[in-house]
Amino acid sequence: MRAIVRGGVFVVVFMTLPLFGFEHWVLNLLIFTLMYAAMSSAWNLVGGFAGYPSLGHAAFFGLGAYFIGLWFQHHDVTTGYEPFLILPLAGLVAAAVGAPIAYVAMRTRADVFAIVTITLLFVAQTLAFNLDGVTGGAQGLAMPTPPFELARFEWPFYYAMLWILLTSMLITYLSMRSKVGMSLDAVRADEDKALGVGVHVTGVKVLSFSVSVALVAMAGGVWAYYESFIYPQFAIDPIITIGMVLMTFLGGRGTLWGPVIGAFILVPGQQYLAYRLGGSQFYLIAYAGVFLLIMLLMPRGILPTIADRMRRRRAVAASSGPDATDGASPPSAGGGGGGAGVPVPSGGAA
Amino acid sequence: MHALVQGVILGILTGGVYALMASGQTLIFGIMKVVNLAQGAFVILAAYLSYTLFSSFGLDPILSIPLTTVLMFGLGVVIQLVFLRPLKREDSAQLSLLVTFAVALLLEGVMSVVWQTTYRSTNTDYANSSWTLFGFQFTVVRVIAFVLSLIALGLLFLLLNRTRFGRAVRATVQNPMSAELLGVESKRVAALGFGLGAATAAAAGSVYGLLYPFNSGSHYDLISELLSIVVLGGLGSVGGAVIAALIVSTSSAVVATVFSPTWSSFTFFVILILVLLIRPQGLFGTVERGAL
Amino acid sequence: MAVGNRLRERYVFAMAGAAVLLTVSACASTTNGTPSTSSGAPSPSTTAPLVIGASVSLTGDFADSGKAVKAGYDLWADEVNKKGGILGRQVQMKIVDDTSSPTQVVTNYQNLITQDKVDLVFGPFSSLLTIPASQVAKRYGYAFLEPAGGGPKVFAQNLDNLFFVQPAPVVKSGDVYADWVLSLPTADQPKTAAYAELDDPFSAPIAENIRLRFEAAGIQTVYKQVYPAETRDLTPIMSKVAAANPDVLVSGTQSEDAYAQVKSLVQLKFSPKFMYMSNGANSPVEFPNKVGANNVNGIMSAADWYPGSPAPSSPAFVAAYTAKYGGTENSIDPSSAEAYSCGELIEQVAAKTGKIDNATIISTLHSGTWPTLVGNLSWDAVGRPTGSFSLIEWIDQKLVPVYPSDVAKAAPVYPKPNWGG
Repeated sequence: MRAIVRGGVFVVVFMTLPLFGFEHWVLNLLIFTLMYAAMSSAWNLVGGFAGYPSLGHAAFFGLGAYFIGLWFQHHDVTTGYEPFLILPLAGLVAAAVGAPIAYVAMRTRADVFAIVTITLLFVAQTLAFNLDGVTGGAQGLAMPTPPFELARFEWPFYYAMLWILLTSMLITYLSMRSKVGMSLDAVRADEDKALGVGVHVTGVKVLSFSVSVALVAMAGGVWAYYESFIYPQFAIDPIITIGMVLMTFLGGRGTLWGPVIGAFILVPGQQYLAYRLGGSQFYLIAYAGVFLLIMLLMPRGILPTIADRMRRRRAVAASSGPDATDGASPPSAGGGGGGAGVPVPSGGAA
Repeated sequence: MHALVQGVILGILTGGVYALMASGQTLIFGIMKVVNLAQGAFVILAAYLSYTLFSSFGLDPILSIPLTTVLMFGLGVVIQLVFLRPLKREDSAQLSLLVTFAVALLLEGVMSVVWQTTYRSTNTDYANSSWTLFGFQFTVVRVIAFVLSLIALGLLFLLLNRTRFGRAVRATVQNPMSAELLGVESKRVAALGFGLGAATAAAAGSVYGLLYPFNSGSHYDLISELLSIVVLGGLGSVGGAVIAALIVSTSSAVVATVFSPTWSSFTFFVILILVLLIRPQGLFGTVERGAL
Repeated sequence: MAVGNRLRERYVFAMAGAAVLLTVSACASTTNGTPSTSSGAPSPSTTAPLVIGASVSLTGDFADSGKAVKAGYDLWADEVNKKGGILGRQVQMKIVDDTSSPTQVVTNYQNLITQDKVDLVFGPFSSLLTIPASQVAKRYGYAFLEPAGGGPKVFAQNLDNLFFVQPAPVVKSGDVYADWVLSLPTADQPKTAAYAELDDPFSAPIAENIRLRFEAAGIQTVYKQVYPAETRDLTPIMSKVAAANPDVLVSGTQSEDAYAQVKSLVQLKFSPKFMYMSNGANSPVEFPNKVGANNVNGIMSAADWYPGSPAPSSPAFVAAYTAKYGGTENSIDPSSAEAYSCGELIEQVAAKTGKIDNATIISTLHSGTWPTLVGNLSWDAVGRPTGSFSLIEWIDQKLVPVYPSDVAKAAPVYPKPNWGG
């Protein structure tokens, strides 16, 4: 019940945000924040729930970007909303490409999988550079200029990113409470045993990967339209993947809200640090330093750490007598759901 | 035909340098099961150190290697103690990836503050000379690089096979639990092993600075190549890394010379994917229980 | 156990607090004494300063040139403020770092225009960043004078607010070389040509432009290779060039690959009779530094500004630059001159029209010719400059303009001397 309230408040707040007349730069920042939140949430399906840390998701971001770019080389933009309508198609294409890749690549264990996916990323980048008949190569690919009026220019992009994020979160929420979610937990915990008990290991891995990359590709499509131009080294950039991974880890892998929180902390933080500190070269050091602090002090991410802390406090309070606390609620409340490695469905605590 | 042979020569000579860089990386993985994404940054840092020693003190980059090796070893040990040891066991596989990446970013930031982002290269007076043998060009620096790498790898081999420390390292790589039971202090081995991996970057860095222009951002390209080499060779196998480095370097130089440089990195990735499909543990890696 | 938890909790919060404090104080200190703004003497009048924003690559791949651009902007602001500013207003540059990222550059211009509400903007470094940035400027009606985005796709956007502050679109910078070669007596002209081109939005197109003109004139192409940007080792390509033995080598390059090409050629002991490099070879200090000072003679390149340039404002620029930043005339990166020229244009528009708002700038600059450090500039409707570059050559280990005759300071030397000569 609490989960639904939380979710509802989030949706209402963000759907109505632009109406409050924020300046363009705020909406601009939110667009990128929502983009990374959506992508981190999508990455979480593979990296957090299934336990396979893919470092190549940026390749699909680029795939979505180029798909939209190429589509509109041959089709016109009149109302300006066409690119958004084509997004689901981009997602399907990405899923279609991702499924066979997942089938093959997910036969390896986690760290080798990470390396295979990094390699795929560089392969994709090389292809983008060299198939210049198709992608424009190093010269890049232009997108039609969005014809939106200045005052509300950012709105369509904002809502598009928000929509992708909400879709991703909905999928995560539903899968956490379903057989698919249980299967993923089993895969992450101990794949051999899962296979032994009859879990459809391959099917569930491929499914999570395909859905994950479809969402990321759609984010890439919106990004391409917003930037108006696609260059291979920026559309398929390892930094994009690292961002997704970092935010998910920061907020908490395998949780519903973790990636979102991670994105809301890191994106404005990083853009702000670059804007203010960039010139003095310290921004990289600050960024890496904060990153390392989090890794060392809160390795499971913010949400699971907080959940743990509250659980312990409740346990201590409960064990210290009847003057305990506000209701001895089940231990997994108050956070974003199960932490890593717990092969139990996280029930209604999302 | 001439071009082909020239390509092979180039590939082998450069392969030595990559072998040295990759050996440190695969060693670290073998000991700690940590994929060290900061290895590229170590090499670049060492390149900067040898560049500074050369441009400020006139110390030839080859001669400064013993000094930089000690410095990098110390840095490696410190990094392991501060950033990697605190990671709890069950998290370390995934987290180590990210932590070492953060360390790489941190090093990049520090390097760009200290040395700015101008491209540097160590320009000794023999930097452009070459020897001609049987009609093929052998650049002096590349030959030196190759010889140096052989020496360094030889020393590493001696260290691993003829010293007590080396035995402890190899035992930890093979089976950490048994090694502990036999009295090997795995924590100490981990710290010293990481230092050793960083130390191999010292010699590689001096050489790298002689061969290529570099700046603080150069470690990205380097790390992607190194990762592919170590996976191809088999994570944890130093011998495998050496052979993989030679294979990779030679085939990409040949493809670049005979066909086109645009596709040389691509063909190499394809080889990697094929190897991983057919034999995921790489050429010389061990098959992990439950891997497939 | 509980005590341990509490201690650890406190530790975590302390650390987090410290991190926050550090970041906040760092930001605060940078904002207060921000090193990225520069202004002249504090204005005695109460006229509001003219704030000009720019996002420049101070870190990341484009950082070297980005910093040169910043140096140019800051220097101009200082100089113009000494003369009383623009229309009585002191100029304040607000320069931010885009970390060589197109996402950040969009955010930066959004912030500059809608958060900091700067009066004017100047452009970033590189066509790759100029394109998304110019779209932002266009939306808000800001004039976009940019010193470093001259690739063909920049102009394909058809933006009327954009002005590329260099004499000609980048792809045309090689035309002056083709002009010269084809002006030679037929017996002296090269008969065969090889092309080594870096695959990016400008370098390859420059070499391709030259190739089309050479082939039309009958110069045979014996080898052509386009190589990707991350190619560190150019020896395989250069050995094929050497094997093809062309009379002229035309290289579409940036800096690092230009140095690598020359080094490889020296090691391969191959010296073509004619050699042109679109970039890298026009760097007065870096080029001889990287390839060896005794290897540079006879190599040609193109430039818009160079030491000894005939532009009327050049001597004052050089004096001011060396006074502010040290070094000599030869250590000045042309990107600084290009950036400085953006400022010169603003001064002239203000002087001519008495106004300095964006609409005025846009309408005024589309007609007439405007003298700057990088030449007399004029533009077509979409921002393409309509002039041409100067051909420069290394003679006696110095960069000298050799063509066309109205800017030449020496006669072109050909054929190119051998390496070490």
